Amino acid sequence: MRRSNKLAALFTAGILSLAATSCGSDDSGGTASDDASGGSGASSDIKVGMAYDVGGRGDQSFNDSAAAGLDQAIEEFGMTSDEAEAEDGEAESAREERLRTFAEAGYDPVIAVGFAYAPALTKVSAEYPDVHFAIIDDSSIEAENVAGLVFAEEQGSFLVGAAAALKSESGQIGFVGGVETPLIQKFEAGYAAGAEAVNPDIQIDSTYLTQVPDFSGFGDPAKGKTAAQGMFDGGADIVYHAAGGSGGGVFEAASEAGALAIGVDSDQFETADPSVQDVIMTSMLKNVDVAVLEYLTEVDGGTFPSGTTTYDLAVDGVGYSTSGGQVDDIADQLDEFKQQIIDGEITVPTTP
Amino acid sequence: MSSSAPAPVSDSTDPAAVAVRLRGIGKRFPGVIANDDINIDVRRGTIHAVVGENGAGKSTLMKILYGVQRPDAGTIEINGEVVSLGSPADAIKAGVGMVFQHFMLADNLTVLENVVLGAEKQHGIGGAARREIARISEAYGLDIEPDRLVEDLGVGARQRVEILKVLFRGARVLILDEPTAVLVPQEVDELFDNLRELKSEGLSVIFISHKLDEVLAVADEITVIRRGTTVRTVDPAGTTARQLAELMVGSELPSPSTETSTVTDEVLLSVQHLGLPSPEGRPLLEDITFDIHRGEVLGIAGVEGNGQAELVEAIMGMRSGATGSIVLADKDLSGLSTRERRESGVGYVPADRQRHGLLLDSPLWENRVLGHQNRPPSARHGLIDKQAARSDTERIIAEYDVRTPGPDVLARALSGGNQQKLIVGREMSGDPILLIAAHPTRGVDVGAQAAIWTHIKNARRRGLAVLLISADLDELIGLSDRIEVILRGRFVATFDPHDLTPPRLGSAMTGAGEDA
Amino acid sequence: MNTVTPTRATRTDPRLVTLVLRLGAPALALVAAFAITSLVLVLAGDPVGEVWSTILSVPETRNLANIINNATVLYLSGVAVAIGFRMNLFNIGVDGQYRTAAFVAAVVAGEAWLPGFLNTLLALMAAMAVGAAWAGIAGVLRATRGVSEVISTIMLNFISISVVAYLLRKAAVAEPGSNSLNTKEVPEGSRIPNLSIGDGPSTEVYGFVVIAALVGLAYWFMLNRTRFGFDLRATGQSSTAAIASGISVKKMTISAMLISGAVAGLVGMPILFGSSFTYGSTFQPGLGFAGIAIALLGRNHPIGIALGALLFAFLDEQSNPLQILVGVSPDIVNITQGVIVLTVVVSYELVRRYGVRLEQHAVARALAAEPAGRRDTSEKEVSA
Repeated sequence: MRRSNKLAALFTAGILSLAATSCGSDDSGGTASDDASGGSGASSDIKVGMAYDVGGRGDQSFNDSAAAGLDQAIEEFGMTSDEAEAEDGEAESAREERLRTFAEAGYDPVIAVGFAYAPALTKVSAEYPDVHFAIIDDSSIEAENVAGLVFAEEQGSFLVGAAAALKSESGQIGFVGGVETPLIQKFEAGYAAGAEAVNPDIQIDSTYLTQVPDFSGFGDPAKGKTAAQGMFDGGADIVYHAAGGSGGGVFEAASEAGALAIGVDSDQFETADPSVQDVIMTSMLKNVDVAVLEYLTEVDGGTFPSGTTTYDLAVDGVGYSTSGGQVDDIADQLDEFKQQIIDGEITVPTTP
Repeated sequence: MSSSAPAPVSDSTDPAAVAVRLRGIGKRFPGVIANDDINIDVRRGTIHAVVGENGAGKSTLMKILYGVQRPDAGTIEINGEVVSLGSPADAIKAGVGMVFQHFMLADNLTVLENVVLGAEKQHGIGGAARREIARISEAYGLDIEPDRLVEDLGVGARQRVEILKVLFRGARVLILDEPTAVLVPQEVDELFDNLRELKSEGLSVIFISHKLDEVLAVADEITVIRRGTTVRTVDPAGTTARQLAELMVGSELPSPSTETSTVTDEVLLSVQHLGLPSPEGRPLLEDITFDIHRGEVLGIAGVEGNGQAELVEAIMGMRSGATGSIVLADKDLSGLSTRERRESGVGYVPADRQRHGLLLDSPLWENRVLGHQNRPPSARHGLIDKQAARSDTERIIAEYDVRTPGPDVLARALSGGNQQKLIVGREMSGDPILLIAAHPTRGVDVGAQAAIWTHIKNARRRGLAVLLISADLDELIGLSDRIEVILRGRFVATFDPHDLTPPRLGSAMTGAGEDA
Repeated sequence: MNTVTPTRATRTDPRLVTLVLRLGAPALALVAAFAITSLVLVLAGDPVGEVWSTILSVPETRNLANIINNATVLYLSGVAVAIGFRMNLFNIGVDGQYRTAAFVAAVVAGEAWLPGFLNTLLALMAAMAVGAAWAGIAGVLRATRGVSEVISTIMLNFISISVVAYLLRKAAVAEPGSNSLNTKEVPEGSRIPNLSIGDGPSTEVYGFVVIAALVGLAYWFMLNRTRFGFDLRATGQSSTAAIASGISVKKMTISAMLISGAVAGLVGMPILFGSSFTYGSTFQPGLGFAGIAIALLGRNHPIGIALGALLFAFLDEQSNPLQILVGVSPDIVNITQGVIVLTVVVSYELVRRYGVRLEQHAVARALAAEPAGRRDTSEKEVSA
């Protein structure tokens, strides 16, 4: 009896989660291929394989940004594409197999979204030397047919850190990271350096929502809200998040505390819930869409890039947003920092 | 058999007075006929007993009447109308309610909550329901407080809650399946008072039992079922238990009888100052001291819940915190684990065979291994010897007349009596020197009861010490060489069964005979 | 009663009946799952025929290798869970146990204190010890304090995530350009060689598949042949009967959790020694939970668990082609898996009840066939 109750509970939970996931991303598979035939007049026989990380198209974050770049390329060049996304808890071989299935089915190039694909791509790129691959957020693969698209997140973070220090009245600001990985630590390091460049005495509270291998910190608004609330209660008046979907909670906390927050990856002023729009002072832009579009532009032109391309301030791969006009008054100072970084006068650290 | 079926006594009764009329009820399962040409009339305002051996078809019949199973043949009339009962809900609608042998109550809910559970539409779940419960309790003298937690209630009170549940749902015909199996004599009397109350209010009670004395005491009419068919309906006045039993088994009847004494001087089990403290104050056992000699049966009499179960479990090493000494054949058992005690020569027939004696979903041969995992023939060098265990199970099946197609059948598939015979056979197979038998014939049919009595007598003759706990006073008096009465965890009286009558023993059990 | 003639009372071998019932249940479940999933597909507007033809397409050799590899891992997880299940212990903590164990084993193997396969052996022992210790905490809490193992193992899962994350940052070696955190790689000589099952890339299966099979064999032997296994099953079926028979339920609880944890410790080992050679932030999570479903699917039977693991691995493998070639959501695969587990549990219960009824009738029939003779003997015994 006891056991069957437990079973019942387990199944209920299982069914609910299945139902939830199936509703959320039910249409993800079909859309891209349908779009492809629509598009503009331009046509191309290039078939792009797009392998997303967990969350896939529709995650309002990283994957969506990559999808935006792809959509634009389809629009402009008339390419076709198909997509697949990773699942939480899948085997390494599933990632490999995803890339392989694209390669086998004649997709070229194949774009892997996210550093988690690095080990799989290392293997698969060697198996299919004639197929071209790109990977976002990884530069560890050295192969002729692989392009690594990485970003100088620390540079963009430097600018929003400087903006936070300039705007802070309490002299205390915060940083909420989603999952403590070297990648997110780059955000923290740049943010801190930028703030300290403005105000060497500034107090910076930093926290991460979860630790690897628990990646839920990128999708748990409740955790984000709790963390940010703690910072606001402790005296901070601006909090920067690099926490994907958890950022919504940070905005909520800022709204309730009458404080400000800084968004990440895309211009979150445009995408956030209108009720919290006014707390988004600026967003650190990580233009994955730009990187994907530029990569596909070159492919359309007939060349497959290889090696690492770093998207930094100089090429507008990263930056900050101005929607809402809250940083207009300090734009001059920020652009000065930007120029100094581009000129190499300031070197932004990548580890905190 | 059908040719010799006697004419139903109800020919003379006024049809309007019949609450339930069963005519020609038949039910067959693949290869088995469970019911065949059953004819019963239950008159309004009477207690009608249905008696028969286990497996005679009583429970199938009751399932049919309660809508759990559909008959293949025959008709059911309730208050003169032919009804079709496809489910218990239909039965309840027709005014038929059932009180099962195993209570179906949620311990952690109150009486009120248990009663309204599933019948919320009747009187709601609030004040109206509480008033209705109070009314029923008052009307039939059930003495139930709606807000008590069921877990705080005794067995008798729980049973009354079950009856109340059925009445609450509007039943006018109550089926009680073996209602006295779980009750002590005093509670049985109370139950019977309740039943008489019900019938005086015009309700009809169908009372299933194989305790014939009780049936004779309470029933207005008795129908005997044997091998799936009604044998005869008799008037209890002018019928003896012996006659009834002979109708049930179709032949002559055994009884527990004392034989010549085999008691010797040699003490096999010596229990000294056994105590079992309880966290709630009054100890569960206090200063229990007794010896059992080779070839002696010591009977323990007592109203249930006075320490019998604790005494057995303390001797078996299943209770921690027991004080005092237990010496079996010069070996001190006190510090040993249950397994070590069993292996020192203790055979144990537990009171609740389904919970404590068997793995119901395992085959018989695995049940043979249970409790003997360390000993040949079940095991060798830490490995289970399936071949040897199976063949030894076949030996038990043959020697103890366990009715089963073979040792690979699941224990669940056997009837209670056959399960019990298997347990007795298993416990005797370890060559024990002490046999502890707790309620060994509770809920088993007459045939198995006789067989088990024989086995206990045989054990005594072979020189075992036997500790017998039973609520069946005839059984105690018949089998024991000496009887100790346990009351509130203490031994309060000792009797020689030779000149002892059940009433005297019964009054000693309640403390009235303490001075006697 | 007069219609039952002894000749009609045929005696079917009960073991044969059991076998037929055992095979019938999963077949029934698969058919039901097939129907329900098809219904879901129709409701979602997906191409039913195409989905099934893709799912049921014959896998290529490399896919076969992937299926076997993933099944190996899932199998170990299923066995670990099943050991607990057999005793009515719900070891939800296999997830935390295997991750903690995999981390420790990766560190031990990466440090390479011993040469070659001695290093492997040491790491495997460490993994089993860590898994057992981690599960043992829940066992001791259950036995001594009555803490539900469900709660304690879930909590231990959380603790293990944090502890391993913390230690991983201490133990990780940085690789330029990579955003992953990884432990030191297992040296070449200590890796478990893979077995090739065909030509072309990625057609190798883990050498660990042999060890997993041995674990399954040991599980079967322990359960069905040893006294310990008997005690385990008896306790699982009825702890009251077990106590009365002299089994120490406390000892059994702790032992079962230790063994379950030790097997859980092996779950990550095929991956560690066969493909990743390191424990890092992308080490496959969630295997412990999959193991629960697989143990249920396999009815805690060593062969059943193997079939369940293969089925799950097979469905997982079809997830990518479904997305890329058919364009349906990978959640279809998840739904199918969930539906299969549900239907299996339901159909087993149905078949079990049917089996019990069948057997009760068999007993009744066997008795009805020979009432007279038996009665006489019993009567004689009584009057003796």
